[in-house]
This record gives sequence, C-alpha cells and structure tokens, in this order.
Amino acid sequence: MSNTASDIAAAIRSRRATACATTEAALARIAAENPAVNAFTDVTAARALARADAIDAQLAEGRDPGPLAGVPFAVKNLFDIAGLPTRAGSRINRERAPAPRDAFLARKMEEAGAILLGALNMGEYAYDFTGENAHDGPSRNPRDLARMTGGSSGGSGAAVAAGMVPVALGSDTNGSIRVPASLCGVFGLKPTYGRLSRAGTFPFVSSFDHLGPLAAGVTDLALAHDAMQGTDPEDPMQAQRPVEPVLPSLEDGIGGLRIAIAGGHFAQGGHRAAHDAVALAAKALGASRVVEFPEATRARAAAYVITAAEGAALHAERLCARAADFDPEVRDRLIGGLAIPAAWVARAQRFRRWYQARVLELFAEVDLILAPATPVRAPRLGQKTLEWDGQSLPLRPNLGLYTQPVSFIGLPVAAVPLWPDDGLPIGVQIIAAPWREDLALRAARVLERQGVARL
Amino acid sequence: MAKDPIEQAVETAAELHGLTLQAEWLEAATTALRTVAAAARLVEEFPLEDEAEYAPVFHA
Repeated sequence: MSNTASDIAAAIRSRRATACATTEAALARIAAENPAVNAFTDVTAARALARADAIDAQLAEGRDPGPLAGVPFAVKNLFDIAGLPTRAGSRINRERAPAPRDAFLARKMEEAGAILLGALNMGEYAYDFTGENAHDGPSRNPRDLARMTGGSSGGSGAAVAAGMVPVALGSDTNGSIRVPASLCGVFGLKPTYGRLSRAGTFPFVSSFDHLGPLAAGVTDLALAHDAMQGTDPEDPMQAQRPVEPVLPSLEDGIGGLRIAIAGGHFAQGGHRAAHDAVALAAKALGASRVVEFPEATRARAAAYVITAAEGAALHAERLCARAADFDPEVRDRLIGGLAIPAAWVARAQRFRRWYQARVLELFAEVDLILAPATPVRAPRLGQKTLEWDGQSLPLRPNLGLYTQPVSFIGLPVAAVPLWPDDGLPIGVQIIAAPWREDLALRAARVLERQGVARL
Repeated sequence: MAKDPIEQAVETAAELHGLTLQAEWLEAATTALRTVAAAARLVEEFPLEDEAEYAPVFHA
C-alpha cells in the first residue's frame, strides 16, 4: 500500500485495509527505524491501538470516520498530548504536569479520523534550525543519518521522510517547518498567520508562531490543513475567518496564475543547488519574471531582533531559576536577548508594518513567488558554519536566511522537495498572498504531478 | 581599558533580571547580543516616518 495519507484513508474507508493493521504496521516501522533516526520522543501505542479499534468499529457499523480515517500522524513535542508533559524540546518542561488534553489541532486531526502515534523530537524551545537537541539527542536525517534534519521541527521532518507517518505536525516561527521539509526532502505547509489555532502548544515568539503539517505529498498537506481549520476561542490571535478548504481546487492547475521568482536577497548567497532547485520549479511552472521583496535582508534582521527579544522575555524566569538546565546553545542566545534595548524592538516592529505593506503590493502583480527554502542541503551533524557569499557564517541562526523574511509577515508558504542533481534534496518555497494557501498548494501539486517535486 | 559595552550590557541585564551569570556563559551571550546589535543597526538605518505605526501583533 502507498504510504500517503490519502491512499491510507481511501483503503481504510473502502475496507481494503483496517485501521488496526495500519496502526500496527506504523508502530512496527517506528520500532525499527526510530533507534537510528531519533524522530519520536514518545510513542503512544496503547492509545493509538485503542483509537484504531474504534475507527474499525465505526466502519463496521457503516459510519464514516472522516477523510483521514485511520491515518497515522504525530506531533512535535511542543503540542499538548493528554497524559504527557509538553516538553518543547527542553529538560525543564518535562517536569511539568501531564497535559490534561490534546492540543486543538491534534483534536481536529482525530476528529477527521487520524490516529495519533506520539510526540516528536525538536530543537529546545523551538529556538533552533538544526534539529540537534542537547537532551534527547539529534533527530537524524533519514536521507543520510550523518546529517541534520533541520529544525526546529526536526523530528517531524524525519518521521515523514523515514515513512513512519505520512503526516506530522510542526511549528514555524522563522522557518521551523520549511527548513526541515527542505533538508529532509518532504512537503510542508506554513499557513497564513492566524489561520490555525495554536491553543495547547508551547509558544516561542507569539506574533510569529504558526503551526502546520509536514507530509508525504501535497494532497496530504491539503487534507491535514482542511481538517485542522476551525475557530478556537482559546487562541486569541486566530483570525475570525470561515473554513476555506483547499482540497476542492487542488487539481485545478496553474492556468491563469501569475508566478514569479524572488530576486534580490533570495537570489544571493546560498549554494548552487538551492538556486538550481528554484530554476527547475520555475521552468516547470512557466515562471520567468523576477520580483523583489523590498528590503528583505532588513526584514530578516528585524525578525532576528524581535525573536531574540521575545524569546528572552518568555524564558527570563526559567533562565534565572534553571539556566544550567538549558541547552547551552539556546541559553546563551536567550541571555544575550535579555539585554536588548526596547528601542531596537520597537523600531523592528515599526519596520515590520512598512515591509508588510510593500510586500502586499507585490501580490497585486503576481499570485505566487518562488524562493529557495534553505541556503544549503542538509549539513552534517555537528557542523557549525555555512558558506554565504564567500563568508563563513554561524550555521544555527542562518539556516533561516530565506524563510525569515516570509514568516515575518505571516504569508502562507508551501515548501516542496526538489532533487536538482544526484545529491540530497533541497526545498523551494511557493509563497502566496495572505489566505491563499489554495494557490500555493495548487502549484505544489503541479510540481508533484510532473515529478519535479517528490519524496 | 574601557569594558566592551556589549559585554557590559549582558552583565547588567543579567543582574537586573536576577540571573547569576556564570563566567563561561558570558562570552557566548556577548557574541549573541553582538549579532543582534548588527541586525538592529541594519533596521535602524532604514528611514521611517515618525508616524510609522508599531506592529506588536500581526494579522494577515
């Protein structure tokens, strides 16, 4: 059987397969693969098998469990799972009381028939682009176990790339879905800021925090995105919008869409593969026009300032009480962040509004913009620097050079895996105007159908 | 010799927050703040009108 969510659900709904057998097979795969990949930090096997039994019973009674019937999924361990402490990649949080119930999005996935298999490794407190966790060990890239998954949703990328689950949920503050999607060679969706509720997840930078799926295919992204929509009064930042399903238009193609390539900041630096991947996607989508995000380099700088300040403010109390229990790589940046003058943050926030207005003007002229997702393919575990325009830069903060200027203003992005040569995969961002996830996914689906983007 | 102002800021902020700063953390925290300072400088160089609104919360 195919390992995509859509095929699994179709097989179970038509009773060609059972949820129990599918869940048992997924658990067996996790048992076999996880010791090497280190994607899962908790496996909720008993709960999953009980849920699978319930799905099969529903089907036996002639009831439809939903569009994700029997589909195994897992969540980054900053999502609440009933009965587990929400560790958010940290040592400190695992001392918290167990969560009383699942996060809103996990509940929505299960309402659509999916089956939660457990929690996934991540960079501590999501302040990470590498997937290297000091407490749980690094998640390892299934494409090459000596390499990084990217982060901070590293376990999510690895679990999908290893075929343990077809869908995993992650969070993306500055690129934490798109970076591991790129390095692990899977599909990812960062929806518009405010689209999906974040209730029941551990925060990082509230005004940048997004949640979304990583998946084995574009249809799976669409299925998960549609399942997770819905108003949640417990997330005050969620926009009040109707459910806007993307699945009905997913096969509509790109006829009439104006697709451009991001120049400027997004065309500079980075390894050749990153730009070759964009060129391949552009060719397949018939895009040749180049547009420039105005002041994207400055936008990335502003995102960096706000992240450092808000992250430090969030963790100030924990730093004072338990600094030695943090990952040193995270702790030292948070300590530095405590000293950021308010004037820097205010300036960055005011610039943010200017930048948002200018970028939105671009979308009067184009519908979609293509950009690299990461400047490099998966680095080796432990690697500390990357080459950028002839300079050697610290790797950890700079894997998000191409993602930060986009999430800074909350635009929806589909990340698709390309294989520009015989080497490892690398991702391309398909960026849309606010609330147009449908267009980004339509283009992603065209690339997938053509075989240009694939697992 | 005058103390590096970035390092001084890290030490002062730690003290203001009641954080006991261990010597081995200071160098890395100073490097981190120096990186933020470079980013902030880039943002500050951009001309904004006095009336430019603050964007504490973004709604797309």
